[in-house]
Amino acid sequence: MPVEKKYETPLLDQLETGEWPSFVKEIKAAAENNAMANDLLGLLEQSYREKIGHWKHGGIVGVMGYGGGVIGRYTDLPDKYPAISHFHTMRVNQPAGWFYTSEALRTLCDIWDAHGSGLTNMHGSTGDIIFLGTRTEELENVFSKLTAAGFDLGGSGSDVRTPSCCCGKARCEWACYDTMGLTYYITNRYQDELHRPAFPYKMKFKMSGCPNDCVASVARADISIIGTWRDEIQVNQEEVRNYAKSGLDITKEIAMLCPGKCIEWDGNEIQIDNSNCRHCMHCINLMPKALAPGKDRGAAILVGSKAPIVEGALLSSVLVPFIKLEEPYDDLEIWEVIENMWDIWCEEGKNRERIGEFIQRVGLGNFLDAIGLEPQPEMVAFPRDNPYVFYEEYFEEEEDQ
Amino acid sequence: MALDIEKVKEAMYKLVKDSAGMKKWKATDLHKACEELFGDEYDKRGIGKDAIKELVEEGKLVYTYFGGSYLEIPHKEGAAND
Amino acid sequence: MSDAQPKRLTDIGPPHYQKFLPPIIKENYGKWKYHEILKPGVMVHYSETGAKLFTVRAGSPRLLSTKKIRIYADLADKYCDGHLRFTSRHNVEFLLTKEENIEPLIADLEALGHPVGGTGNAISSLVHTQGWIHCHSAATDASGIVKAVMDELLPYFKTIDLPAKIRVALACCLNMCGAVHCSDIAILGIHRRPPRIDKENLPKMCEIPNLIASCPTAAIRPSQYQGKPSVEIDEDKCMFCANCYTVCPALPLNNPLNDGVSIWVGGKVSNARHEPMFSKLAIPFLPNNPPRWPEVTNAVKHIVELWLKNAKKHERIGEWIERIGWPKFFRLADIPFQKEHIDDFKHAGLSYKRSVHLTYM
Ligand code: HEM
Ligand code: HEM
Ligand code: HEM
Ligand code: HEM
Ligand code: SF4
Ligand code: SF4
Ligand code: SF4
Ligand code: SF4
Repeated sequence: MPVEKKYETPLLDQLETGEWPSFVKEIKAAAENNAMANDLLGLLEQSYREKIGHWKHGGIVGVMGYGGGVIGRYTDLPDKYPAISHFHTMRVNQPAGWFYTSEALRTLCDIWDAHGSGLTNMHGSTGDIIFLGTRTEELENVFSKLTAAGFDLGGSGSDVRTPSCCCGKARCEWACYDTMGLTYYITNRYQDELHRPAFPYKMKFKMSGCPNDCVASVARADISIIGTWRDEIQVNQEEVRNYAKSGLDITKEIAMLCPGKCIEWDGNEIQIDNSNCRHCMHCINLMPKALAPGKDRGAAILVGSKAPIVEGALLSSVLVPFIKLEEPYDDLEIWEVIENMWDIWCEEGKNRERIGEFIQRVGLGNFLDAIGLEPQPEMVAFPRDNPYVFYEEYFEEEEDQ
Repeated sequence: MALDIEKVKEAMYKLVKDSAGMKKWKATDLHKACEELFGDEYDKRGIGKDAIKELVEEGKLVYTYFGGSYLEIPHKEGAAND
Repeated sequence: MSDAQPKRLTDIGPPHYQKFLPPIIKENYGKWKYHEILKPGVMVHYSETGAKLFTVRAGSPRLLSTKKIRIYADLADKYCDGHLRFTSRHNVEFLLTKEENIEPLIADLEALGHPVGGTGNAISSLVHTQGWIHCHSAATDASGIVKAVMDELLPYFKTIDLPAKIRVALACCLNMCGAVHCSDIAILGIHRRPPRIDKENLPKMCEIPNLIASCPTAAIRPSQYQGKPSVEIDEDKCMFCANCYTVCPALPLNNPLNDGVSIWVGGKVSNARHEPMFSKLAIPFLPNNPPRWPEVTNAVKHIVELWLKNAKKHERIGEWIERIGWPKFFRLADIPFQKEHIDDFKHAGLSYKRSVHLTYM
């Protein structure tokens, strides 16, 4: 049903020019038949004029029984913009790898046109399909139509957040394990943890198929699963020569930039000292036709990255240097490690303490003790350089041991 | 004698209700309190988890998000518009 | 609602991705051998079975109307038997088996205003957050800056000839929901003034014990206002996280005079060559100047162009700066170095220069 234009938007209009696709055009397109999108235009223009946002956080709204998946929002100008007096976001769990059929997309659009603003994010930073803005009483309607169409809500709050992954084996020759398969498995294994927040704070999984880490798991997942291999890089010398012929300076652009300094090129053949390869992907990235990760493939598991709030930002660090990730996933030993981690974090963690902060507070060594893993040199960049070792046990003269 | 889930639910509901406005309870806090109340019989992964699930599905408690997830008695929040 | 309610389902999880994969991907799952970038935004993947899959990647504003999504769906029907995907940086990718469909698809996408590019040594779309479109703690808008910056950087999206990849991201407050902190260039909204207390309304809208408990740095203390319980803020302790405002709308943090944008450089995520790195502070504060944020777009463009001019092949911004050293970066970029650049958080000492490996030219 067409909606009449309500607002002049001289500032936003300036963002309709230029070659990059314009979000203002998107909101205007939706506003032609959606009163919420129309009021959003008015509100956003006011924000641009005043240089301030006009939203209040809503902490209680959700669908029945779930503690995640809905972000509550109310404008602080409800009388002026009544259509967006409520403007709650719904996070819809994306299919792994973000593949869709046109039919699935149209189904999602139909649901959102009937019950929301007609505006989306494809996708949110965590990976979910974001339905941007609806009223409290519409949440259940959207939810029931979504589940009827085979979709469910993703996570938000102190729960397992919607896991996401790179396209992996679906379209990438470098995938060292089946990222999409594992992501689907993890998402289903932890449905309860995803929908019913029971942790001190959020818990994110991200799966990348190789050390290029296309989903930035090392920077933004509490549990980062990054594909790698432990045998020799596969080499096709003929193709290496072809790259050289086509102008690639193998010594300068590859051997000299190799962090393991383990490549030599004699103008005819490339030699790789695989025992010193750091698995950085640089040489493979530059010669995809000639080089490939080895055949003994799996992943490294890192834990603990997070954004700065509260105790400062962290990158994930190595917990498991190498693991094979093959079906049946049920039989993998990492679930026990992960669930042990959660137990101790729930038991001892402070409110809003991410697991990375928790590990820093108690110390990685103590954390390993608690979850039953042995320390390994791969877990540190270097051993300690301060001599203040707190030994937990020492001998007394009297005791005869 | 097995612990009765209704008793656990009642205890949890009372904890939340009696401190409404004063303290916000996370699921882990409720588990810790119930471990004190019921001792070894209380299993947070079994009966504890089920009790919370039922309380929420019955609408007696609701999950909220204020920088962290909590369980609260349903109420109208300060930010809500009509 | 008059809709008949179907039976209530829960915990069904996402749809299985198998349902959405095109046949060529199902047949060649895990069998891809290598790929080539044919031109900006266009890749071909070769399978060991001999199959060839073409990918056309186009930029997107991330915020999409259902109308645009339906147009994507129509394009997928027209050229790709109804199959498409999105990338981790919000681009849309069309998956083709017929090479002859590539050019008509690109023509349609460009006509629609969605440039094709973002592959290989190029800039890809900006990962970004919600800003004034949806978030209560935003110190700046997200979509507006992204649009203004990408309008300027578009030539670098439609190329594959940069020294290396460049990843730019934006988060509109310190909560940083979006991978910014490890970006070649990160644009970060910042608040500079602690929350103001709306003392009249506070008792009506908020539960004081919960409000006090919400502050991660214990900056909020109980006090009295006109004989009633209220709170006060120890401003030195506030880290601008907006958590108090999340709990209590009577503590607004946002403020046009003091909110703005900071610029961080030199982060990376991938393991290629150098290990992943955090972005470091380059410019502590730039004003909010909607609708096109000229100070911010100029700063970003300036840094990108400096890198283009000075970097060696395959050096990402952080690798380039590590080679020349930060003092030289500040000299070249002509950015004044000030107190804010020096870390004063937990392990600040590790960031002090602990040698005389210095440059003077
Ligand atoms: C006090 C801490 C935090 C608060 C109050 C907070 C609040 C929020 C809010 C309100 C949103 C919804 C934005 C919207 O849709 O309007 C959001 C989204 C999000 N947050 Fe946070 N957040 C916090 C910390 C974090 C941290 C530490 C991270 C990651 C390290 C994070 C990651 C995300 C992500 C990925 C999204 C989705 C954003 C998008 O797709 O645009 N948040 N956060
Ligand atoms: C030429 C070799 C490369 C190929 C064929 C390649 C392939 C891909 C593919 C298929 C994606 C889409 C993944 C997804 O969204 O699920 C992607 C995304 C990405 N890759 Fe790579 N990758 C290459 C090299 C690299 C390198 C060397 C880096 C980092 C230095 C890198 C960083 C990224 C990032 C950040 C993304 C997200 C980009 C986006 O979604 O637009 N890639 N790459
Ligand atoms: C030294 C400074 C910084 C460090 C050490 C750092 C570290 C981190 C880490 C480890 C994460 C992973 C977060 C997670 O998902 O749990 C993260 C996330 C993030 N950081 Fe930073 N960061 C820094 C500075 C910045 C800056 C300057 C920005 C923005 C300009 C930024 C924006 C973000 C964003 C948006 C995320 C997104 C997380 C998500 O999607 O989950 N960070 N940061
Ligand atoms: C495992 C821990 C350490 C051991 C066993 C150790 C041992 C020693 C020894 C035996 C000396 C020579 C003393 C002498 O000439 O009489 C020395 C000197 C010194 N140590 Fe350490 N040290 C340790 C850690 C550190 C640390 C952590 C620092 C500083 C961060 C440090 C700073 C110094 C300095 C500055 C000197 C004087 C060096 C010189 O004269 O060239 N040491 N240390
Ligand atoms: S992370 Fe590796 S395997 Fe996954 S898409 Fe990127 S390059 Fe391919
Ligand atoms: S993967 Fe990296 S470390 Fe290993 S040989 Fe290639 S360039 Fe060197
Ligand atoms: S970065 Fe901050 S302001 Fe922006 S959407 Fe995330 S929480 Fe909101
Ligand atoms: S903004 Fe954050 S740190 Fe500052 S007073 Fe509020 S809760 Fe505390």
